Amino acid sequence: MEKINLRAVFEKSGHAVFISHLDLMRAMQRAIKRSKIPVWYSQGFNPHIYLNFPLALSLGVTSKTEFMDFAVTEPCDYAALTETLNKAMPEGLKILGIAEPVFANKDIGFAEYTIEFKSDVPSEEMLSALENMMKADTIEIDKRSKSKGTVKLDIKPHINITGTETASGLLHVFVRLPAGLELNINSNVFIDTFAALSGIDFTSVYAERTKILCLNGENFR
Amino acid sequence: MLREQIEKLLPLVKSPSRYIGGEFNSVVKDKSKVDVRFAFCFPDSYDVGMSHLGMKILYSLKNKRENFWCERVFAPWPDFEELMRKNNIPLYALESLDPVKEFDFIGFTIQYELCYTNILNMLDLAQLPVKAKDRTDDMPIVVAGGPCVCNPEPLADFIDLFIIGEGEEVNLELMDLYAEMKKKGCSKREFLEAAAEIEGIYVPSFYDVSYNLDGTVNAVVPNNSHAAKTVKKRIIKDMDSVYYPESFVVPYCEIVHDRAVVEVLRGCIRGCRFCQAGFIYRPFREKSSDTICRQTKSLCETTGYEEISLSSLSTSDLSDIDETLRRLSEYTEEEKVNLSLPSMRIDRFSKELLEQIQKVRKSGLTFAPEAGTQRLRDVINKNITEDEIMRACKLAFDGGYTGVKLYFMLGLPTETDDDIRGIAELAEKITDLYYQNPNRQRGKHIQISISCATFVPKPFTPFEFEPQASIDEIKHKQKVLLDSIRSRKRINVSWHNYRVSILEAVLAKGDRRLCDAVYEAWKAGCKFDGWDEFYNYDAWMEVFERLGTDLDFYAHRMRSYDEISPWQHLDYYVSKDFFIRENKLAHEEKTTFNCREKCSGCGVSKAVGGACFGKN
Repeated sequence: MEKINLRAVFEKSGHAVFISHLDLMRAMQRAIKRSKIPVWYSQGFNPHIYLNFPLALSLGVTSKTEFMDFAVTEPCDYAALTETLNKAMPEGLKILGIAEPVFANKDIGFAEYTIEFKSDVPSEEMLSALENMMKADTIEIDKRSKSKGTVKLDIKPHINITGTETASGLLHVFVRLPAGLELNINSNVFIDTFAALSGIDFTSVYAERTKILCLNGENFR
Repeated sequence: MLREQIEKLLPLVKSPSRYIGGEFNSVVKDKSKVDVRFAFCFPDSYDVGMSHLGMKILYSLKNKRENFWCERVFAPWPDFEELMRKNNIPLYALESLDPVKEFDFIGFTIQYELCYTNILNMLDLAQLPVKAKDRTDDMPIVVAGGPCVCNPEPLADFIDLFIIGEGEEVNLELMDLYAEMKKKGCSKREFLEAAAEIEGIYVPSFYDVSYNLDGTVNAVVPNNSHAAKTVKKRIIKDMDSVYYPESFVVPYCEIVHDRAVVEVLRGCIRGCRFCQAGFIYRPFREKSSDTICRQTKSLCETTGYEEISLSSLSTSDLSDIDETLRRLSEYTEEEKVNLSLPSMRIDRFSKELLEQIQKVRKSGLTFAPEAGTQRLRDVINKNITEDEIMRACKLAFDGGYTGVKLYFMLGLPTETDDDIRGIAELAEKITDLYYQNPNRQRGKHIQISISCATFVPKPFTPFEFEPQASIDEIKHKQKVLLDSIRSRKRINVSWHNYRVSILEAVLAKGDRRLCDAVYEAWKAGCKFDGWDEFYNYDAWMEVFERLGTDLDFYAHRMRSYDEISPWQHLDYYVSKDFFIRENKLAHEEKTTFNCREKCSGCGVSKAVGGACFGKN
């Protein structure tokens, strides 16, 4: 059977940000099944819809730049395919486009986020707390790893703050973090570290992933 | 709006997608355009409640009516409950995220006794008084249905009205009545009086219960002219035309039964004497093969589920099961959907069924002989012979199975140590059968799991008169069983916690005086009693002791045939005379024909206006 590999870009927002990575797989499989597109099934004793997500997204984070790899068994018009899939998608999950994959999962190197911190503390104070944190020589965190248990890691060199904005009671941080096979720091690690080191009680923190980049700096696609 | 408050807390709890709604096929309406809002509460966690078929049926049924909006509510897991209480978030419904205290109805489905404290906890979390008498006219009407309401007395203080029997018609009648009376500005009492006139509605506050000196019930007498002397259960006459959902809400997180389900029949022809469901859901009614196929297709297409299950008390009793399965598998194979078949009887087990089951997965096969000897199987009217068990196991071993799981009950009426040893002997015989079978999988040893529940006598069964075995008796029986198993390596034995079964027995056969115990247990922190990690036996026992509740009186006493039971004013059509007759036959070790073979005159045919099967 013909197998045409495809990569969809999709949005995860609203209710859907609370779908865990594992549950997302199931939700997508069911949506694809409902859509009746000519999806490719794994060939085995118990065939199932082949799906692969190149990079997991932390719970609670919004994104318009998520990727999902799947395959179809016949050539399709990508715009029509997108429309058909979207009719079967639950609220908060939306396919934004479909194309043939260019890069491999292992090419992913970084992800960019916009993070909104909200607090009763004046925004200037939040900003200077962030600047103070970044002035330190090291920012050590406990990182869990499968093989070595919990290890100390200095994340200072890996946090690349590309910009900040303040508004009344709000601090927006634009940050690039490693997201590769060798080192992956998700946005929650950055948020939790900032909250712990600054001692600020944030009333809400809202994170959005804005970009997934390759090791060479190109947009992942 | 609660949404913002809820969303802030969700990252802090386990499996947050179950608290925010928005699942595919969930029904959202404009609340300004509906007349009646119904909060359908399942008093257990989301993953258990979302697996429940009755809720799916009634949810879709009510929402099909433009002027009704039914929403789902589950018991939040304790981690989230703690945060809700700390942040003053009241219990809310998943579709609108509105507090359930703003609804017209709060409806509980009561599937097992161990959820009673959760009902109180949910009402409290909703910021409502848990006792019906303390709820004022501006608060929702609290209703309850489900199998446990065949004896609702231990919940009588907390619920405004109970829905007795099958809900498809009576729920709509009740909501229509409410819509009409709401427009007129009637009081809660006026509504309850009008509701009590509907067949199948039981308003517990309209009845007075008096007791004899020995503690047994003297009489249950209506104290309101609108209340009937006995309340008859509701029955759906025709299963083939009764409403069934075209789609299910599809959850994000994994739930217990994560699949599409088609109910293929209701009721049971078998009459196993311990089985409450087998009597309270009579008569036997089935769907046609056409209907089953149509509903399967619709559910698969609208949910995207990769598995469909045929559900009933005994799916192999469907009259045209072979034809139905053949037609279904044509569809499911084409669509790469798995077809699963729970509730198969040993005596109906065939090579064809086995092949069908194997297509889905080859994990375990489970049979339920329930008792170890033919004598005891006859007492309970299981109507399965040892030959049939052996034949089924041989088929399974021929088909490559290397293990079976067997369900038994300990503490059945008339049970002796010989019957217990019979369980071990049966398991040993199955082991021998396996090793003697030339077709078995080479190089693999057999694994037999014996799982023992403790018998809980239930209302509306021939064993409702029977005492439950005491804790010492059960301990003895467990020891006899363990001592009589020779090949411990091949045969693994497990049992349910007896300390849970005793609470089930007390609540199942309890009367209205137990409301205080349920209330005090909840006050003492009891909730999620069905979950090992939360069940607090000591707290319950402390409450019973403090209130002077005699457990022996409720659970361990033989009740005489002429004793008035706490549920005697509820009529499930199966007559008490029949239960007495069946109880006597049990003690004589005599079996009864199944309904298809011969009518045993249980009384339910009155409700269907003639014979249940053809003209027998």
